[in-house]
Amino acid sequence: MLSWKNSLISLTGSKVENFSNIHMIQKILIANRGEIAVRIINACREMSIPSVAVFSIVDRNSLHVQKADEAYCIGDPPPLESYLNIDKIIQVAKKSGADAIHPGYGFLAENPEFCERCEKEGIIFIGPNSKALRLVGDKVESRKTMTEAKIPIIPGMMTSGKQTKGFKEAAEKIGYPVMIKASAGGGGKGMRVVWSPQELEKGVEAGMREAKSAFGDESVYLEKCIEEPRHVEFQVLADNFGHVIHLCERECSIQRRHQKIVEETPSCALDEKLRAKMGEVAKKVIEVSGYNNAGTVEFLLDKNKNFYFLEVNARLQVEHPITELVTGVDLVKQQIKIASGEKLTITQDDVQQRGHAIECRIYAEDPENNFLPSSGKILFMKEPSGPGIRHDCGIYSGCEVSVYYDPILSKVVAWGETREDARNRMLLALSNYTVLGIKTCIDFLSAVVGHPEFVAGNTQTSFIAKNMSDWKEKTKEKRFLNEALIAAAISSSAKPTSRRRFQDKQEMPNPWLTLGKWGLGGT
Amino acid sequence: MADSGQMGVRWHVKQSYFLDAMEFELKIENQLHKLQVEFKEGVYHVGLDDQEYLIDSSTVSDHCLSLLVNGKAFTIYWTEMNGKKHLSVAGEKYVIEEAAPDSVTASGADSAGIEEEPVAASPMPGKVVKILVNKGDKVEKGQGLVIVEAMKMENEIKSPVSGTVGKVNFKSGDLVDAGRPIVEIEPDA
Repeated sequence: MLSWKNSLISLTGSKVENFSNIHMIQKILIANRGEIAVRIINACREMSIPSVAVFSIVDRNSLHVQKADEAYCIGDPPPLESYLNIDKIIQVAKKSGADAIHPGYGFLAENPEFCERCEKEGIIFIGPNSKALRLVGDKVESRKTMTEAKIPIIPGMMTSGKQTKGFKEAAEKIGYPVMIKASAGGGGKGMRVVWSPQELEKGVEAGMREAKSAFGDESVYLEKCIEEPRHVEFQVLADNFGHVIHLCERECSIQRRHQKIVEETPSCALDEKLRAKMGEVAKKVIEVSGYNNAGTVEFLLDKNKNFYFLEVNARLQVEHPITELVTGVDLVKQQIKIASGEKLTITQDDVQQRGHAIECRIYAEDPENNFLPSSGKILFMKEPSGPGIRHDCGIYSGCEVSVYYDPILSKVVAWGETREDARNRMLLALSNYTVLGIKTCIDFLSAVVGHPEFVAGNTQTSFIAKNMSDWKEKTKEKRFLNEALIAAAISSSAKPTSRRRFQDKQEMPNPWLTLGKWGLGGT
Repeated sequence: MADSGQMGVRWHVKQSYFLDAMEFELKIENQLHKLQVEFKEGVYHVGLDDQEYLIDSSTVSDHCLSLLVNGKAFTIYWTEMNGKKHLSVAGEKYVIEEAAPDSVTASGADSAGIEEEPVAASPMPGKVVKILVNKGDKVEKGQGLVIVEAMKMENEIKSPVSGTVGKVNFKSGDLVDAGRPIVEIEPDA
C-alpha cells in the first residue's frame, strides 16, 4: 500500500500538497448535458455547492440549464464546438469561479489532455489523476501492467503475425477454442472462432484474407474464445491516500450494438466467494494503476466462472445508480469528497449489498428499426414513480431531442428486496412510463425484463441476438387495441363535458370560505 | 336558425341503435376500423366490431383520458401529431390515423335504404370558418359548402346531393353545435 501511495505522489509530482490538505470545493462546473448533468447538479445542491452548467446553442432549453445555479453557452451544436471544446470549458470555469470540473460520462470524461489541462490550470478534475487516466486508457500498456501484476487477462498472443506459422503453438498454449482477431480490427471483421487444431490453418488464412480486404492489413492474432460470456464489472472508490474499496458488482450483459441497455446488481452468476475474489482483483487493478476517485473495473466471466480483466472505465458510469441503491453509497458525493481531499470513511467491511436493483436505459431510438436514433419534440411525457423507483431524467414534456448527442433520455432504476421484486417493480414502472412524440425503447425493455430467460437469470452478452430477434413480430399483438380505438374516437368526438353539472362557479361555494369560526390544530 | 326538430335525423346514420351517432373510420397499421360513438345520458355508447361498449369517459387533462369500460379502468395518454393520434394504454403505444368522420362527406353515406337529409351539418361542435356558397347557387353532389373548424382542424362539409342552395343558417365566425344544419339544399328533381 505504501509503495502505491508513493508512486501516486510521484506520478502527480508537484500536486503532492493536494493529497494532504482538504480543499473545500467552492463551485463545480459540469462539463456535460442531459440526465447525468442533472444528476451531478442535484448532488451539488445537496452538498450546498453552487453548480455551473455549460450548453451548446441547441441545449438552451435543456433540463440541466434549468437546474443549475449558473449556465453559460459554449458554442455550436457539434460536440467539438461545445462539449468537447476544452478551451471554452476552461474559460467558463475561470470566468465563473468554478474550482472543480465534473466531466460526467462520455465527452471529455476520459480525455487525459483535458484532465492534464485542469491540473495545469489549478482546477480540480473530479475523476482520476491524469497519469492513471492515460495508463488505463492505453489498451496495450494496461495489458502489460496487468500481466506484470498477475491480473487475469484474456489469454492471447502478445504479437500478431502475417504468416501462419507460430499460430499452432500459440493456440495450444492458449487452449481451444481460440478466436482469430484482426490487429487493425473492429466491428467483428476478420474475427472467427476455431474449435480444433485441424481448423486452425484454414481459419487463420481466411481471417487474414478478410482482414486484408477490410483494413488493408492482413495481421491477425489469437485470443482465447470466451464462451457464453457475461459482462461483470466492479465499482471501486479510491481516495488520495491509498484507501481502496469496491462496492460490489454490476452485471451488464444485456447489450445491443455493443452498448448496455439493462444492468443489475447483484449478478445472478456470482456467489459470495467469487464476488470477494473478483472484488480483490478489481482493487488490485486500481492499485497498480495508481488510480484515484471513482472507477469501474470490467471483467468478462465465462460459463465456467473464469474471469478476465477487460478494462478500467475511468469515470462515473451510466449504470452507477444500481450500486447506489443496493449499497446506500452516493457515488457522486463520494467523488466530490475524494476530489476535495477527504479520506474515505467507508471501509470494505461497511459495504453490504441490500436487496436487488435493475436499471433500464431509456434511449430515443427505434428498436424495430435496428435501434436507429430518433429525434424530435417530446409532446407529452409521464414519468414513473412509486416505492423503489428512481428516475434519473434529462427530459420533460415539450423538450426537443436533438440529433447531435447520445440519444439517452433517462434511466429507470428499480429496487426490491429480491430480484423478482425489483423486476416486477421495473415492469410496472415501464408500463407507467409514457413518452409521446418520439420513439423510445420502453416497450422493448419491457419485453427484455419480462422475458423468461431474463427471469431465469440467463443473461449472457448474446441475450438480445438470441432471444429478441423476433421481437418486432411480438409487438403486433396489441392487447389494448379496442381501448385505444375507443379513446381515439372519443377524444375527437363532441365533448359533452361535466361542466353542465356546475354551470355557474358561484353555485359551488368554497367550503373553506364558509367554515365560520373554526380553530386549527384543536386549539 | 333551423328548428331543433331536424336534429335527430341525419344522413350519415347507418345503424338504427346509433341514431345520433358519429361515425369514425380509424386506421392503425393499415387496418381500418369503423366506430360509432354516441353520447347519451352521460355515457358513451361505442359500436366497434359488432359490439356495443358503454363507456364512462372523463377528460383528466389535455393529454389524459380516463375510461371506465364496464367498470374496468383505463388511463390513456394521447397527443396528436401530423394528423395522427399517438396513444399510450397501459404502456402500449398506438398510432392511429383518423379518417375524417363519415358525416363530413356526404358521398360516404351511400348505403342503401336511408333517406338523406339535404343539409350540410357539422359532425362536431365547432366554428364556421367560411360559407362557400350563396343562396340560389347550383351545387353538385360532393361540392364543398362550408368549412367548419373543430378540434383545431378544418373540415370541409360537402353537399350530400346535387341541387340548389336553399337556406344558409350561419355566417363565418358563428359557433355551431353538432348536427345543426348550416346550409340546406333543395335537391334536383
